[in-house]
Amino acid sequence: MLKMTHLSKIYRTEVVETYALRDFSVNVEEGEFVAVMGPSGSGKTTFLTIAGLLESFDGGEYRLDGEDVSKLNDNARSKIRNEKIGFVFQSFNLIPDLNVFDNVDVPLRYRGFKARERAQRIHDALETVGLVSRMKHLPAQLSGGQQQRVAIARALAGSPRLLLADEPTGNLDSLMARQVLDLIESINDHGTTVVMVTHDPELARRAHRSVHVLDGQVMDLQAVSESSKDETPARA
Amino acid sequence: MFSYYMNLALRSLKHNPVLTVLMVLAIAVGIGASMTTLTVMHLLSGDPLPGKSTHLFYAQVHSDPDKHRDPLDMLDYRSAVDLWSAHRADRQTLIVDSAIKVRAPDKNLPPLMLQMLSTTTDFFPMFSVPFQYGRSWSADDDARHARVAVISSDLNDRLFNGADSVGQTLRLGDSDVRIVGVLAPWRPSPLFYDVRGGRFAAGDTASFYTAPQDVFTPFNTGLEINDGNFQQFTCWRVPETPGHLENSACVWIGLWVQLDNNAKVAAYRQFLADYAAQQKSLGRFEYTDTRLLSLMQWLDFNHVVPSDVRLQTWLAFAFLIICLFNTISLLLAKFLRRAGEIGVRRALGASRSAVFAQCLVEAGLIGLLGGIGGWLLTLIGLWLIRRQPIAYADLVHLDTGMFVLTFVLAIAASLLAGVLPALRASRVMPALQLKTL
Amino acid sequence: MQIRPILIALRRHRLATLLIAVEIALACAVLCNACFLIANRLAFVQIDSGVDGASLATIQLTGYDVSKADDLNARVLTALHGIAGVKSVSVINSIPFGMRRGTAGIFTDAAAQHFGGVVDFYVGGPGSFQALGLQMASGRAPQSEDYQQPVVNFVPASAPVQITRALAEHLWPGTNPIGKQFWMGTSQFRVVGVLNALVRPDPSGPADQREWSVFVPAQPGPYLAGSYLLRAEPGDLPHVMRDALATIAKTIPDVVIDRADSHTLDTLRRSYFEKDRTMMGMLAGVIIALLLVTALGIVGLTSFWVTQRRKQIGIRRALGATRGDILRYFQTENFLIVTFGIVLGMTLAYGINLFLMTRYELPHLPWLYLPVGAIVLWLLGQLAVLGPALRAAQVPPVVATRSV
Repeated sequence: MLKMTHLSKIYRTEVVETYALRDFSVNVEEGEFVAVMGPSGSGKTTFLTIAGLLESFDGGEYRLDGEDVSKLNDNARSKIRNEKIGFVFQSFNLIPDLNVFDNVDVPLRYRGFKARERAQRIHDALETVGLVSRMKHLPAQLSGGQQQRVAIARALAGSPRLLLADEPTGNLDSLMARQVLDLIESINDHGTTVVMVTHDPELARRAHRSVHVLDGQVMDLQAVSESSKDETPARA
Repeated sequence: MFSYYMNLALRSLKHNPVLTVLMVLAIAVGIGASMTTLTVMHLLSGDPLPGKSTHLFYAQVHSDPDKHRDPLDMLDYRSAVDLWSAHRADRQTLIVDSAIKVRAPDKNLPPLMLQMLSTTTDFFPMFSVPFQYGRSWSADDDARHARVAVISSDLNDRLFNGADSVGQTLRLGDSDVRIVGVLAPWRPSPLFYDVRGGRFAAGDTASFYTAPQDVFTPFNTGLEINDGNFQQFTCWRVPETPGHLENSACVWIGLWVQLDNNAKVAAYRQFLADYAAQQKSLGRFEYTDTRLLSLMQWLDFNHVVPSDVRLQTWLAFAFLIICLFNTISLLLAKFLRRAGEIGVRRALGASRSAVFAQCLVEAGLIGLLGGIGGWLLTLIGLWLIRRQPIAYADLVHLDTGMFVLTFVLAIAASLLAGVLPALRASRVMPALQLKTL
Repeated sequence: MQIRPILIALRRHRLATLLIAVEIALACAVLCNACFLIANRLAFVQIDSGVDGASLATIQLTGYDVSKADDLNARVLTALHGIAGVKSVSVINSIPFGMRRGTAGIFTDAAAQHFGGVVDFYVGGPGSFQALGLQMASGRAPQSEDYQQPVVNFVPASAPVQITRALAEHLWPGTNPIGKQFWMGTSQFRVVGVLNALVRPDPSGPADQREWSVFVPAQPGPYLAGSYLLRAEPGDLPHVMRDALATIAKTIPDVVIDRADSHTLDTLRRSYFEKDRTMMGMLAGVIIALLLVTALGIVGLTSFWVTQRRKQIGIRRALGATRGDILRYFQTENFLIVTFGIVLGMTLAYGINLFLMTRYELPHLPWLYLPVGAIVLWLLGQLAVLGPALRAAQVPPVVATRSV
């Protein structure tokens, strides 16, 4: 599903060049639930932005669903983000002026669906996260956990193949965090590939396997991922 | 998608009503000022005879033997009559105007002092003058100095309450003339056939836009019945009898000719040159300069549009530009304040062009609202101009073309103002780590 | 105040800064030139006519037979003398801000070799000079025997005349004009007096030629008739005028009263300058709208910046910046942007002025307009920034600790 080989990403300022990612290789199979772990500044968020086609990279190769994405223009990248990828952010990133319904509607609009299909999908997505009754609420009228569930519904509405989550529970208390994680897990159970960035080992344990990032490189994972190794091929 | 963007734009405008009102107001005021002045410009600088003006020419020779300068703006009597009676053009007409006392003998009304145009019969078909009753006099009437007249619809209203007055008698000065025609309302802008001397007016040319004369008589009839009351354009020797100019050293008559193709124009130019050369050999002319300008060239040459009107137009557009810069910076602030939202939209699959389009639709909507405001302000502006004591006040109105232009200009201006901010907004990076929305 | 950090911040907002600066530059350029145009019109509107306008009115008659002009003059003078409140009635061809009937080119030699320019002749019958209330600078006023000459065309064949100081200075610079002669066609004029001022009937020409006027005493007759000057106390003038028009309509019914031109001189003057006042009003309106729009632009953009920098402001406050510091930060920032705009605007103002000079015969923009325009814009900028800056100063330090 997601395959990066020898990927590098350099941030340049007037004075210095910093390698955010260096010789970064990772392979996520269809249907996997992978946690990406690492300390602050290790490059795990950079990995996620590149994986989500939000940023370009400087060297190496990235294939998403078998397609080389490095040569794609902005329109094509936007289309892939829109159709194949769902995002869940740490700070929810709901558009404050839009109510729940309209927030979930955003990616569907860019998809060009007809009104009837959009309404159906929004309804289904909100049903999945249990917030159909809050359809007309504004984000500010919801709790943090509810907001994150709306964000997940928004990510789900377009039936993406890949869900990218960046510290999805980082701004939530533990009870709500558990609900959100249950939700992500059930999404994965329905076949969506999930890549979740987190620094919390507790959360990472819920994934099929973990990838550890340090100084912009993937660490040798043999020892760490041994436990989940049996499961992985079975799902692939 | 457009309706979605429209919906979003409406939300966004409602979300920040104060900023919206400021932007709409700035555009409305700029558009109102520009369209008011532009409408006046349009009315004053337009072609008074569309489709026909290219075939109409104003003939000039230089009869002043003392000073070598541009051909004079009008003709002396002899040159005018010589050139006219040669009949070398498809149509030709002499014009001279004068003030005359007018009475309707049967009516008990106080006498009126009115402008009378003395001209030849071609005047009416040449300038497409519309008739309500009767028709113009004949070439024979011209030759016989017939005591006939055509009157304006305005004078017909005043003297005969708008009824068909053909056959009625009018007293011009001390002579009785028979009315043979009544014009339909006719208000050329400017009064092109009477335009002259504009370059000496220091830009104060509003008087070129007065209404046409009220009384029209055959050329020689006019000279006879109003003898002693003619005004010279200029003289190189003071006339012996003021107001009687037939054998004076003065220019006071205009000659318009209609030439239907380029060959005829060239031939007429040659005719004028030959005439001037012949007059020089006769010792009457000293200089052989001639000029034959088309109607629009003649209007240009006379700077018919008053300089105040042009200055106002410049000023209004400078103001519009300032309003636009204002709109650009406010739109920039507005769009970049939503950088977070735009980042999310980008992450959720909006392409750069989608963001750009969304922003432009919002700018265009502001333009549309500004256009409505601008239209209302233009109506107020034109109403204010109509109340001014200027010759063209009664002409001022907003025609369909200018009405449409108001909105085109408003939307075009706001889209133009929106391009830069929209471009900036579409460059907002799609992002994960958005702290503020 | 530290300027460097502000400059650095402004560089990060290059586009917005540039936009506001350009807007201010345009405003500055238009402001200076519009004010200058107003000042020019104002000087024109306030022109000294040289005559005692408040006490004067004119009656214009047309539609009479030239051969019966003497009879008309006699009847009008008699009829008007009888009206209560009339101090004097006289015949004169032209009136300041009224009809123009004596415009002609003159020569300073009999052979017509030295052109003296185009002047306006005021040809007046007995009593008209005193009625106008003209002020002598030197020489003498017309005496009763000066009014004996009949008008042959529109002036007498020869006459002792009074000319304005401006015309004298133009024709014979630096010399005493008394006794000098000039010619118009075959008519010959000898200067016997110099007037302080007497404006042309239509002073719209070049500014330095507005007072090229000549007063010619003459005998009313066929070619000096139909145009009358009435003098009365300013308070009596309206009813004198009303009675005069009524009397003429009744006693001389076959003549046509030119009602559009028969008015008090003050009325004529007011309608003559109507379009200039309209233009001044429009210019003033544009200036006000311009300043408002510019101010709103500054308010809008600064508000945006304040919102954007709330966190930063909170941090500064937490680190010990006083409210005054924050206020001054935004004020200084605005001052810098406006200054930048003004520098741009001065160049632009000068350019526009050059353009107007070629197109509208305007004089050079006096340099004084530039600093005044600059001060106005600085004040405007400070006024506009005050609101948002005060809001910025109200941002509590605690904002620094919040994550949003």
